[in-house]
Amino acid sequence: MKCARCLLQLQCLRLVGQSARSAAQHGALLRSASSSQPDMVHNTQVLRRFHGSPACAKRPVPAEFINEDDKKRDKSLVAHDDLFEQVAKEVKTKATFNKVVDVFIKRDIRRRGHVEFIYAALKKMPEFGVERDLAVYNKLLDVFPKEVFVPRNFIQRMFNHYPRQQECGVQLLEQMENYGIMPNMETKVLLVQIFGEKGHPMRKYQRIMYWFPKFKHINPFPVPQQLPEDPVDLARFSLTRIANDLDAKVSVYQLPSTDITERGEQITLPHIVGIQSPSQMELLAQHSPNRPVFVEGPFPLWLRKTCVYYYVLRADPTPPDEKVEEPFDPERCLAFPLQLDLDLDRDFGDEESFDVEDLDEGPVFAMCMTSQGDQAVLNQWISGLQQNNPILGQVPALFRLDAGPRELQGPADTESAHHHRTDRPQREERQPEEDEEPRRSQGAKW
Amino acid sequence: MSLPKIARLPSVRLLSSIHQQQQQLLLPSVPPLTGPKRAVSQGEYRRPGQPKVDKFPWQPINFGFSKGFEGVKKHLALLKKEFSDRWVGPQGKPILEHMLEQNQVLWEFRGPESLEQWTVSSDQEIGGQSEVHLKLGKNHNTCLLYGTLSSTPPRDGETRYSGYCTMRSKQPLASFDRKKHYDWSSFNTLHLRVRGDGRPWMINIATETYFSHQKDDIYNYFLYTRGGPYWQDVKIPFSKFFLTHRGRIQDDQHPLWLDKVNTIGFTLGDKADGPFQLEIDFVGVCKDYAHTEEFAYEVYKRNPEI
Repeated sequence: MKCARCLLQLQCLRLVGQSARSAAQHGALLRSASSSQPDMVHNTQVLRRFHGSPACAKRPVPAEFINEDDKKRDKSLVAHDDLFEQVAKEVKTKATFNKVVDVFIKRDIRRRGHVEFIYAALKKMPEFGVERDLAVYNKLLDVFPKEVFVPRNFIQRMFNHYPRQQECGVQLLEQMENYGIMPNMETKVLLVQIFGEKGHPMRKYQRIMYWFPKFKHINPFPVPQQLPEDPVDLARFSLTRIANDLDAKVSVYQLPSTDITERGEQITLPHIVGIQSPSQMELLAQHSPNRPVFVEGPFPLWLRKTCVYYYVLRADPTPPDEKVEEPFDPERCLAFPLQLDLDLDRDFGDEESFDVEDLDEGPVFAMCMTSQGDQAVLNQWISGLQQNNPILGQVPALFRLDAGPRELQGPADTESAHHHRTDRPQREERQPEEDEEPRRSQGAKW
Repeated sequence: MSLPKIARLPSVRLLSSIHQQQQQLLLPSVPPLTGPKRAVSQGEYRRPGQPKVDKFPWQPINFGFSKGFEGVKKHLALLKKEFSDRWVGPQGKPILEHMLEQNQVLWEFRGPESLEQWTVSSDQEIGGQSEVHLKLGKNHNTCLLYGTLSSTPPRDGETRYSGYCTMRSKQPLASFDRKKHYDWSSFNTLHLRVRGDGRPWMINIATETYFSHQKDDIYNYFLYTRGGPYWQDVKIPFSKFFLTHRGRIQDDQHPLWLDKVNTIGFTLGDKADGPFQLEIDFVGVCKDYAHTEEFAYEVYKRNPEI
């Protein structure tokens, strides 16, 4: 130990002579040497002279590296998490993330501890909001030293060459895979430079490139990566998605606005966006006025990671004795017959429908989305619907609303929301004279 | 090869039969409306943080007389059914029906006993925080799978990802707990009627395998739900299913062999934390003559092999 300290001191003295460093620098070096911590790693610019080549020793140390070292010296035994915290104290953006990576690259020509650094960086990526950025992944891959881990003979190729580094590379690619980022040619070039043509990271890359394009467009109900910011646009998008009817018409009953009354109170009007298709209007027109319609909700709809809520206007299924079979009007469509009564010899092998009884859950007449699902707002929607559906003036509408969208706030209180679900929903009548027989609360529709 | 299996499986089966029996004893009149849960720890590996069970392996087993009697009754009934079914035709159906049927409803949910054929499990088994429940729907003729997904990984130092919820059908068993398999080789499409909330699910089909290292081989495909108040008919050809092993897609793909299918499952793991629900009306298989594809992925030897 003592011997090492003496050697260091000698080195430092020589250094002072060679590169004329400042006294402070010198002192700091001594201090770090006496503390004899593994923080020598960060002083490699100096320590390299022990076993470095003379050419390396003569090379003057660039000023910014020294400064970087100076800054880090007081806390030189840092995990790389702390490096991120130090550099990006104020804002966590892509620029600061890149800066941290630059600092690490410049700090040591040998990139010592790069595996730990990359693991730490992968963990920090969501915080900096760069987890879906291919350029950042490529830059992180660039931290690996090149051509060191490439196997050079068949024995190295046969055994797992530099397994920790390869694992780290695979881990990086796996994080890309998890976020759905497709690597590009630059990634491939980097991987070939770092791990060779047939390393495990290269295999992982090939697998990603094989499977990703296969599954890229298989979602039949695609959701854009960036959902519309405007709540009205979002409501329009989600309503057309769930309505599944090209004829359905979206109507905006109320735009979101903020008013200030004369008393200075702020009134926020929620948006109300509804959707109704012609067939739904037809169904509603045929609805018998002595049975009520229900406004139910909120029901969740997930669009990637956001959850929106919608409300439906529906009725109970028609009891079997009230059902009337409407004969087809033969002149409704002249192009082809709507009803065919052919006596074909169809046997069991031609039976193509499933032998299950149909679920009759009652028709859905309209759907809407609003940011504030209380009864007054939904009443506004119903009265808006009434313009096109005059029957709503005669039909009593019952509100069966669950406790509001509690789940929106976060997963912490979903438990309570579930209890609310199973509890009796609030049942309020829009037309009080129409007091139905106590219809048992049926809970949520689902 | 089969030694660990022999050691493991009977105890699991015995345990499950105890569980069922206890339910019958405790609730003779009220049928359970919710589906059965998988036991929290099933494998032999004790995860970090799990308490040690200081019981001998035979201690949790019920050796009671009534259980034995019930078992004999059940198995003899199954055996009798097996013999009598042979006289009717293959799989207990007349031969004409067996040859000509174009579709078959495998699971429908028309009562609490239909939920007995399914088990649910979530990442609570590995220490996660997701919750999943299975119950009958509003009119008692659908099945509603609901719960909360939470992708917080357990703090045990070795788990990196978490957040899944699963519903899986039970392995069909013939008399004396012999394995039975579904034979869907005359069909080529899976048909589901579901109503989801917009989340993507995954359908897992596990088939019978020969070697024990293949026991986690599962064939997967995706089930995208539209969301909304309407039911959705989903037809998925079996040729689209790809092979995975323990959640990793495999390089060496081959088509799903439909002659010995053990279980089918639905998995959610889309990393969106929050409540979810999936309502299933029925699960069936059908023959789609318009679909002639045998396998959707390359099976030729790639050069270079990945």
